[in-house]
Amino acid sequence: MAAARTDATSVSSLDTVENLTDIDSIKAAFDKYCDEEVTINADLEKLIENQGRLENKMGNMHKVIPNIQILETDSKNLSNMVAFTSTLAENVSSKVRQLDLAKSRVTSCITRVEDILDLKFCTDGVQTALQNEDYEKAASHVHRFRNLDENVLRMSLTSGESDTLDNSFKLLHEAENKLKSIVNSKFDSAVHSGDSASVERFFKIFPLLGLYDEGLTKFGKYLSSQLSDSADKSMRLAEAMGSEDKRANVMYADLATQLFEHIAKVVEVRQPIIETYYGAGRLFTLLKILQVECDRQSRKILQQFKTKRNFDHVVQQVQQSTMFQKQPASEKYEPKGLDILLSEVVLLNTRAELYLRFIKRRSTNDIEAGFQNDVDIVKEKLTDVDTFLDNCDLKRLMQELIGSYILMEEYFMREMVLKAVSMDSLDTGQPTSSMVDDSFFIVKKCARRSLSSGSVDGVCAMLNHACTVLEQDFREVLHSRIRVGFPSDQYLHVAYNMVQSSLQQGKLQSSDTEKQKTQFLTTLNNAEASCEYCQSLKTMLEAEVSKSFHQSSEHTKAKLESCLSDLGAAANRFKDVLEFGFTQLQSNAVKPRVKPLADGYLSTSHNITEEDFSNFEANDPWVQNCIVQLDTMLAAFKISLTSGNYDKFVSLITSEITSQMEKAVLKTAFNRLGGLQFDKELRALVGYLSTVTTWTIRDKFARLTQMATILNLEKVTEILDYWGPNSGPLTWRLTPTEVRHVLGLRVDFRSDEIKKLKL
Amino acid sequence: MEDYKYLFKVVLIGEAGVGKTCLVRRFTQGLFPPGQGATIGLQIWDTAGQERFRSITQSYYRSANSLILVYDVCCQASFDSLPTWIQEIETYASTKFCGYLVGNKTDKINDKEIPTHIGQQFADRYEMDFIETSAKEADNVDKLFYTIAKKLSKEAKQGELTSDDTTKFNTDNTTSISNCSGCLKF
Repeated sequence: MAAARTDATSVSSLDTVENLTDIDSIKAAFDKYCDEEVTINADLEKLIENQGRLENKMGNMHKVIPNIQILETDSKNLSNMVAFTSTLAENVSSKVRQLDLAKSRVTSCITRVEDILDLKFCTDGVQTALQNEDYEKAASHVHRFRNLDENVLRMSLTSGESDTLDNSFKLLHEAENKLKSIVNSKFDSAVHSGDSASVERFFKIFPLLGLYDEGLTKFGKYLSSQLSDSADKSMRLAEAMGSEDKRANVMYADLATQLFEHIAKVVEVRQPIIETYYGAGRLFTLLKILQVECDRQSRKILQQFKTKRNFDHVVQQVQQSTMFQKQPASEKYEPKGLDILLSEVVLLNTRAELYLRFIKRRSTNDIEAGFQNDVDIVKEKLTDVDTFLDNCDLKRLMQELIGSYILMEEYFMREMVLKAVSMDSLDTGQPTSSMVDDSFFIVKKCARRSLSSGSVDGVCAMLNHACTVLEQDFREVLHSRIRVGFPSDQYLHVAYNMVQSSLQQGKLQSSDTEKQKTQFLTTLNNAEASCEYCQSLKTMLEAEVSKSFHQSSEHTKAKLESCLSDLGAAANRFKDVLEFGFTQLQSNAVKPRVKPLADGYLSTSHNITEEDFSNFEANDPWVQNCIVQLDTMLAAFKISLTSGNYDKFVSLITSEITSQMEKAVLKTAFNRLGGLQFDKELRALVGYLSTVTTWTIRDKFARLTQMATILNLEKVTEILDYWGPNSGPLTWRLTPTEVRHVLGLRVDFRSDEIKKLKL
Repeated sequence: MEDYKYLFKVVLIGEAGVGKTCLVRRFTQGLFPPGQGATIGLQIWDTAGQERFRSITQSYYRSANSLILVYDVCCQASFDSLPTWIQEIETYASTKFCGYLVGNKTDKINDKEIPTHIGQQFADRYEMDFIETSAKEADNVDKLFYTIAKKLSKEAKQGELTSDDTTKFNTDNTTSISNCSGCLKF
């Protein structure tokens, strides 16, 4: 390639050489060719150097050539040998295959012969066994015969033998049918005569004859009749029981429990037999039959329960009382009477839930064991189980019962809470009145009772109702009492004359406003306690719910959680009532009382002489009196309020004092000594208030303290020692404008100096 | 649940078999994929129509922000029962609620027994909103829930006097009160 290019250029350059005319170009061309010559010479020398080496290699190759010929012949020989061996191997293996085929034919032939022998043996055996009434043996012969493939056996026979075989088959089919009818009738007569051993004996024979469903159905019916008998007996016994018996109140729940326990025991005892003789996966067939009887007996028990407990009538009365809530209490159904009835209803449902869960668990386990390899079948069968149990009579009856239960429990809860409210009383020394404890006790009792029923929907409904009763009924009571308001001092003056005149007429008692005050403060405490109780009720129920329903589906849990969270919302509604109460208290009690204190401050001069200052040392003009007043007021509230509410009250008062004091300070004129006086007063006030509350109140006084600092300056520019980069740990709560304003309060500070300050 | 700015409870009521469960299913399977930055949550409570579950479902009325009363346009009996339901709502629900009357199963045109104007008339008399739907054909289903969510959030905002912001709808979180789904299939 490179050479070709050189050629090409040389040809073209030769052409151009011919055409060259001036000496410079010719010289340049000449130089170029000289250079090329040198390179070409170098290349040629390199090639010549290689010549020796190449000749050596060629010599070596010549020597190898004869060996290659030998190699070729050897390879051909080897190939022939391999081909020969392969043919040989193939021949051998085909013979082995033939042998193997022959062997398997022999084996199946032997099996057939054995089958035929078996068949003959069975034929003879069945006859004798039937004659000897050895049904198990007969059945096992039939079972053996049923496992033989009749068609194959018939095919493999020569015509000569077919007669005897036909005969055998005929006999065996006859025997099978005979055995079926014998087992059927024997089973029936055993049931009839109550011979449980024989019942069990024949029950085990059914599966050998392929009669799985028949066997389980018949056995199920037998067990059902036993159930029925014992249930009837229990019912008679229970009804003979005296009303003073301690279980009399839960008699029907006990009866249901006995029924369920009986069935559970039957399942417990019979399941192994069924698994052994019928195989896994068939238990549900029996359970379905037993459930029919369970439904029948449950209906009977509930019927009796309703009749004896006058259930429907009570439900109706409760319904009516709920409808016409305004009717006088005397005409309403007495809620207390429901207590015992409700407990029995709950117990009935608990037992039923427990029983149904047991049945479901057993069915599920059995199906999973029986159809391990087929996920689809398991799924399908489990859906069947769920549908069956969800729609069984017992379930429906219980749903109806729970429906009535919710109605009555709600009535009970609401009426009892109303009663607690109407019987509200305040024990001296107690911050809250009786209705809070009582109402929450009732709500808790009802919620927990519903929880013990095990019915998810029942629990949810009662949680909803509990929220309604607390958030609506009970909260409304508190709210209306708060709305009345704390008797204000201004109002007192007006009321005083009225009270005086009423007293003369004997209508009012002098302590009426005191009562009103106490009621207001108690209600405030009640609201606080209610908020707290509501939270702890929620926490407690949450714990119990998660304990009782931890196995439930996510869907169920979400439902319960949603209803529980409403209870948390109810707590916040109580908080709102509390807040409302405090705004009432602020406008009616706090403001009017703090106002005169601030006024007192205003009327004290802070532009004072040295003499005044030292005089004030001995005869305090304002703050001591202020503290005494505050102390009297706080002491009065401290007795009546819970510690939480009292702290809140102190905080409220503190805020009021600071805001009113701020206003007052900004209206006061100070000199240096007046500033000092104010600082002393403020320290005394903060010191006092710190002792009455656990809260830190210094923060609330931050602005006032900073004002005092400013008012204590020697000269205007000194503020810069505390301001901006010099503020250190101090965070200023006053704006620059406010600082200037406060500085302006000092009569001895010049306003142009204040204006010049760079803040 | 905590992700919502507002969470509204909507309770579906009406006779058994009018298609309440189908309405919810259609809606929750449908248009609004969960997990978008949602500010509005609709928690739809699907109730069982059977009498024996009545006292359970009643307990949910008070906390509901909206009640949807459903009847089957092809079933006179389900329409005739509406006054009873209204009475029940008036007894148990809180005074302020947003009610919707829904005539379902409009896909069965040939079997329609209650003409649209009769349904509308009834809704007007009780000051309810009215809409006809087909859960089967997904007709008006999203519109129904969308309108309710819009109306409720508008009311909530007016109550709060907060500034307007974009609302998205998230509608998973459906919980059915009763497990008897079988009886609602037709």
